[in-house]
Amino acid sequence: MSARKLVAGLGACAVLLAAAGCGGSAPSGAAGAAAGRDKGPVKIGALHPVSGAYAVDGQQMRRGARMAVEAINANGGIKSLGGREVELVAGDTQGKAEVGQSEAQRLISEGAVGMVGTYQSAVSTNVAVVAERNEVPFVMDVTASDEIFAHGYDYSFRVQPGSEVISVAAAKYLKEVSQQAGEPVKQVAFLHEQSDFGSGAAEAFAAAAEKLGIEVDPVISYDAATVSDLTAQITQVKASGADVLAVAGYYRDGLLAAKAINAVKPDLNAVWGVSNGAFDQPKFVTDVGALGERYFSTNYHFDAQDPQTRKLRAEYQRRYGAPMRTGAVLAYDAVQAIAAGVERAGGTDPVKVRDAIAASKVEPLTVGSGPISFAPNGDNENALPVLMQVQNGKVVQVYPQEKAEAEPNYSVTWRS
Amino acid sequence: MSDINNGGAAPAPATPEPSAARRRLAASGGTGALLRRAGVVGGLAVIAIAIALLKSGSGLVVWQSVVTGLLMGGLYGLIAMGLTLIFGVLDIVNFAHGALLAIAMFIAFGVVQGTGLHPYLTLLVAVPALFLIGAVVHRGLLSGTGGASLENQLLITLGLSLLLENGLLMFFGAEPKNIALPGDFQFSLFGAVVAGGRLYAFVGALLIGAVLFWLLRRTRFGTAIRAVAANGQGAELVGVNVRRVHTVTFGIGTACAGAAAVLAAPLVTVTPTLGEQFNITAFVVVVLGGMGNVAGALVGGLLIGLVEQLTTIYMDGQSSLLGVFAVFLVVLFLRPQGLFGRRA
Repeated sequence: MSARKLVAGLGACAVLLAAAGCGGSAPSGAAGAAAGRDKGPVKIGALHPVSGAYAVDGQQMRRGARMAVEAINANGGIKSLGGREVELVAGDTQGKAEVGQSEAQRLISEGAVGMVGTYQSAVSTNVAVVAERNEVPFVMDVTASDEIFAHGYDYSFRVQPGSEVISVAAAKYLKEVSQQAGEPVKQVAFLHEQSDFGSGAAEAFAAAAEKLGIEVDPVISYDAATVSDLTAQITQVKASGADVLAVAGYYRDGLLAAKAINAVKPDLNAVWGVSNGAFDQPKFVTDVGALGERYFSTNYHFDAQDPQTRKLRAEYQRRYGAPMRTGAVLAYDAVQAIAAGVERAGGTDPVKVRDAIAASKVEPLTVGSGPISFAPNGDNENALPVLMQVQNGKVVQVYPQEKAEAEPNYSVTWRS
Repeated sequence: MSDINNGGAAPAPATPEPSAARRRLAASGGTGALLRRAGVVGGLAVIAIAIALLKSGSGLVVWQSVVTGLLMGGLYGLIAMGLTLIFGVLDIVNFAHGALLAIAMFIAFGVVQGTGLHPYLTLLVAVPALFLIGAVVHRGLLSGTGGASLENQLLITLGLSLLLENGLLMFFGAEPKNIALPGDFQFSLFGAVVAGGRLYAFVGALLIGAVLFWLLRRTRFGTAIRAVAANGQGAELVGVNVRRVHTVTFGIGTACAGAAAVLAAPLVTVTPTLGEQFNITAFVVVVLGGMGNVAGALVGGLLIGLVEQLTTIYMDGQSSLLGVFAVFLVVLFLRPQGLFGRRA
């Protein structure tokens, strides 16, 4: 490579970086955006962390959103607009809140009628502010934190069940499943990562569990960013005499927990994931092998019984050579919700699209107790957490009954 | 290698006096004083454990924390040893240490995946590879910065760490990797669970620490390293090839990270950003042990491992780093030169 080529390449990079920077920081330019919306394809913005530490999920979700757009176009586009096509304009949040914010601004100025994203609550919090200020609807696919919905935003919607909904369901399912198994739960030890996500899940679970007459003690937290051993924490669980261990954490620490549980072997009847980022991932099963067998997980999930979801996941597997995760299916659902809003509004004015999203009902490919239907605060009122379990090396839905693929097996491997 | 004893090209001796850190490395020999201070640290640790016992009320929980903390601490010590060696001899604060550690883990992962070798046998690949990478990094990026301002080195090593992390992300993807340890076992040590992998890592860290100590104390090359650390200009005058000593030292320091990486790989989930996780801890250990003090790094590592685990007993719901930083601040306040550093 010649030196000149190298210089030219570096120069090009610099120009690109500068352009990206400008795009991010420029004001929305409402007039330009409106002009962009009127002709050509209808633009839907997608904001996910496709680089950085969360890139695996970010890429999954962007692909999911892209597949939704393709499906809509294959189906004849937006019919109320004479079959106008839909286009996905995508931004990379890098998993950083401030980048997500500037990328959101950019997508809006490029004429996005709505946005989906973002996988991380902190990023979504910032994007929600941009959406509100610019009056462009923002439909969250994965965002656990309930805090965003306390601000009374008009332009924020969410497809997945929130942190509290999952935690409350986790407590309820635990009570019911343990009773059915003839070993009603008495004392739950809760192990959680200490950021908003994990501690929020723990608080909501404890409150719900106490109402059901279940004691939650001890509650043990750890720092997910730095932890490299959970043996001492699991020893604490063992010493407490709890009969169930609930865990709310991310993937990496989920593996550490499984290894520590295997080492300490506390006298538990069940290991119970709450919004857990590991226990219902196919990769968890292959990474920890037999250690993860019979782990439960209460979480959002793709609808394993829906034939349409099965078709979508098979297509994803064929195209990208990896199993489609729930995050990607949620992104698919979120794009559908925006497209349905445009269809219903019969136009691309984001304010009208917002009203239409608020009023429309969309059949989800993730588990729900009905169509996606947004409550006045923007939360999907039919989002339904589902209980999953690792059985024979596979993650299967086991509860509630109508979504179950198999019977729950309320036990742990090392005590039977 | 033509510019070897060229005083003009070797930038390090530009400073008229050896820096405080260099003198510390050279002066860290007093074994009696070292033992005495280790005794004090040990005494404080016993008090800390006693308080933890009162707080938790369960001997088993505290005992497990102590065992886990010490096992982790050995590893921290090993990682910090490389860092402190580089600092002591070259005066370089290497922010890329964690990223280099991640590189070694991916080398281990790649070799295990590709050949099915036992993870520990990848030491034979990862340690020399990291030595080479370290030497190349030093020659290519850092050898010219000796006389330049500290910011230059910081920016270079920080930039390098970003480059390495994102390079790993590009080539291996962000999917977390898992290295299984064949025939892993565990046993009970007076009630506390000890996993085989963690014990191996601990013993390995001690062995490598001993080798490093022997290398520095008992070999000709070690003498050269210490001479360069004590007084670069003087060493050069008596015919020591300072630039080569610098490069090799950086290589050895990086190889320590490589060894630590292989020993730790089966215990953690391997991701490109994993280095960050150990970087902060390693820096704290280095400062705590006395910048440039290899033995101090090991004791500091054990201490930090212990503090980390005990913090989770003292302060439920807080980051274990909180306790680490609290100890760090207290030590800095009372002994700014670190536990095992000597006042300049």
